Amino acid sequence: MHKITQSIKQNKTYLISLIISITAALIIGGILMDVTGFNPFESYGAMLRGAFGSARVFGNTLTKMITLCLTGLAMTVCAKAGLFNVGGEGQLFLGGLAATMTGVYLQGASPLIAVPLAFLSAIVAGGLYAWIPAVLKVKLKVSEVITTIMLNSVAIYVCTYLVNSSGPLATHDKGVLGGSDAVPEAFRFAQLIPKSNLSTAIFYSAVIAFLCWYIMQKTSIGLEMKVTGENERFAFFAGLPKDKLMIWSMVASGAICGLVGMFEVYGYQIRFQDSISNEFYYDGMLVAMIMNYNPVGIIIMSFFFAVIDIGASAMEFSTGVSGEISEIIFAVIIFLMAAEKGISKAITKKNLQRKVKKTMGKEVQ
Amino acid sequence: MKDTKETIVKFENISMQFPGVLANDDVSLEIKKGEIFALVGENGAGKSTLMNILYGLHTPTAGNVYVKGQKIEKFKPMGAIEKGVGMVHQHFMLVPSFTVAQNIVLSREPKKMKFLYDLKKANSQVRELSEDYGLKVDPEAVVGEISVGLQQRVEILKTLYRGADVLILDEPTAVLTPQETDELFKVIRRIVEEKDMTVIIITHKLYEVMAISDRVGVMRQGKLIGVEETKNVNERILASMMVGREVLFDKIEKTGEPGNVLIEADNLFVADNRGLMAVNGVSLKVRAGEILGVAAIEGNGQSELVEALTGMRSVKQGQIYICGQEASGRDPGEIRKMGLAHIPEDRISTGVAMPSSITDNMIIGKERRSEFSVKGIHLKRSSVARYARELFDKFDLRGAGVDTEVGSLSGGNMQKVVVAREFSLDTPVLIVAQPTRGVDVGAMEFIHKQIIEKRNHGCAILLVSADLDEVMRLSDRIITMYEGRITGEFKAQEIDKRDIGYYMTGSRTAGGGEEGA
Repeated sequence: MHKITQSIKQNKTYLISLIISITAALIIGGILMDVTGFNPFESYGAMLRGAFGSARVFGNTLTKMITLCLTGLAMTVCAKAGLFNVGGEGQLFLGGLAATMTGVYLQGASPLIAVPLAFLSAIVAGGLYAWIPAVLKVKLKVSEVITTIMLNSVAIYVCTYLVNSSGPLATHDKGVLGGSDAVPEAFRFAQLIPKSNLSTAIFYSAVIAFLCWYIMQKTSIGLEMKVTGENERFAFFAGLPKDKLMIWSMVASGAICGLVGMFEVYGYQIRFQDSISNEFYYDGMLVAMIMNYNPVGIIIMSFFFAVIDIGASAMEFSTGVSGEISEIIFAVIIFLMAAEKGISKAITKKNLQRKVKKTMGKEVQ
Repeated sequence: MKDTKETIVKFENISMQFPGVLANDDVSLEIKKGEIFALVGENGAGKSTLMNILYGLHTPTAGNVYVKGQKIEKFKPMGAIEKGVGMVHQHFMLVPSFTVAQNIVLSREPKKMKFLYDLKKANSQVRELSEDYGLKVDPEAVVGEISVGLQQRVEILKTLYRGADVLILDEPTAVLTPQETDELFKVIRRIVEEKDMTVIIITHKLYEVMAISDRVGVMRQGKLIGVEETKNVNERILASMMVGREVLFDKIEKTGEPGNVLIEADNLFVADNRGLMAVNGVSLKVRAGEILGVAAIEGNGQSELVEALTGMRSVKQGQIYICGQEASGRDPGEIRKMGLAHIPEDRISTGVAMPSSITDNMIIGKERRSEFSVKGIHLKRSSVARYARELFDKFDLRGAGVDTEVGSLSGGNMQKVVVAREFSLDTPVLIVAQPTRGVDVGAMEFIHKQIIEKRNHGCAILLVSADLDEVMRLSDRIITMYEGRITGEFKAQEIDKRDIGYYMTGSRTAGGGEEGA
């Protein structure tokens, strides 16, 4: 408890600007609703009902939160070591497809064998796909931002080809347009709330989140990663295995993305489709960046984003306000947080000036 | 000393508050026309801040500045330049690929037909200016190819070209040889006497204050401690004013005899970042219990030598042995395991992780030892904290806490963090580069003591420093380097500063100096 209050104190100005940004974004959203002829209070009410109204929708909110949180942590793991993995989307596609096909091919096997193998294949596929840009970066100094963006397209298009219409992995099930065969029922994650997307993936996610937090905050490796990310030359000078640290952090990032792909399919989508992810990774990246790569902050912010995202579609359904309003709210928050550094600097400066003038004035009197 | 005439610059109750630091605390000061005023103080004493305010780089939190009787309303460098204030920064602001003349007229280029650059006129104007002030330069030389001393002259000419009659020089001698320093001082005296300029010099070298200034102001912790006529003070008085206590500059006590050779370089060739050979066949040996000082002007291969010895730069040819083990071609981690610790020449870019805490910066290198982590993985935060606390107290990092971000520390404290980490590794070999660059007198004394203590305990130490006094004070033997070669080797007692200067500029070489020990 003491630690929490301490960390809140340390990040006071940051938290204040975060709360201001969120409030401002919600107000701007409200104004937009008002000028387009909707009652903002009713609409926000509908949004909240859409996110919390029943066990089913709440389950969906939590599922969305898991995705955001894991992708955010994936971004954080490599960002701490100084790498910017923009390729999570591609790693998610490949991990999802690998896990799905593992399940499909092992039909009839014991889930005790098949499910761990599916986990492994998702980790390997996502990890390997992140390993390529990491090695290029470390050995040849090729910018990982560019390579990961490029590799995204490669992975997405290859997967799309494989599972669509005449693709080699496309399903032959009748009445299904596009996508792979379904993962056998025995392997799928158990549903926690009937008719909702929430599955036991939430427990696996909790384990992954805990591991990320533990490694980054509590181990010597996490310390070395952080130092490498802050000053690569210092890490080299101090004799840290910086190349290994950078490569492995990127691989870990890719592996987490691969698992997100698997959780999507095994959790509720059942089969791999080219619509597996609606740019989930980019949302996760934004959450991570807004929260300054703080693992606990990412979990909290993921929940907030999930509420707005899931709530917005319900709001559109019941009040007619366009669900795009959620995008606007996110955009305003991101915009304000990007300006946060400048704003908080200006505030500190103003405060100081006022303080000095006050004390000066007293001395003169 | 000239007659004190009218006041040209007046600071009135200046306070400057930066986040967490009161850099100037109610400073009032008057500078007279036609004097050479020295502003001295430890690092972080606020002298640069005060001058940056005069030059319009900062707006003071409180107080007023008057130049030639006019109150400054808007603090902008352009405004300062218009009022005749010019500043030469410690790091030169020159375009290396431009010629001298192009640099000098930059932003105020003479024009043909209002918009065409008139290079011919620029050259002739610069030639005229340089003759007028007796500052000889070749207007058509490319700035990147001329010496540091000449570059500084170009900076001074630039301010003169803009019509400055109050010239601020920020640590002007930091990069100069003793000969170049003499030359600079001559120039300063000439422009003051003949052109009635006013010169303000920021420095922390006290003998320079004595040599050049008419009056001296001493700053400490943001306050102006006192202003004195230079003839009424001496170095000792100034030093005690600067640190608030008597600095004795104790005679350093060296004990013990040199032992085995622990650092050895054999015919070493190392390339710089451009691929040009920066170290050309250097051989040296350093024994246990001995300090070998390297005296060289910046850019003569000493940085590359240090980087090669520590594994940060690849070796083109030749061998390195650290504690008897072949070290060429190894990375810094492997060489450190052989028993080497290293204080890098640039602490900010190399020596610390700025956003991390003092604790984290001190523990790096030891974080996988069993005292600090379970099986090298789970960090024992409490042992780490205890250990950091110990080092923190031992190295007397006043004004900070163990959780303070290293990036917010003063130069002296930041360097203490680096020294604390590296010296606590307890290695037999130390490579020490610029240990007290930009560090205040108190921290300097402290770091010198630590280095000597290590020597007396039997460490082999290679010391590279641009500060000749430091090299001469600490070293047992000194080698001079010029253009990547060793030009001389001396016992520290047997050579004086002036002579070393000749070897550092390559105008003298000692035959057989390359043989090492």
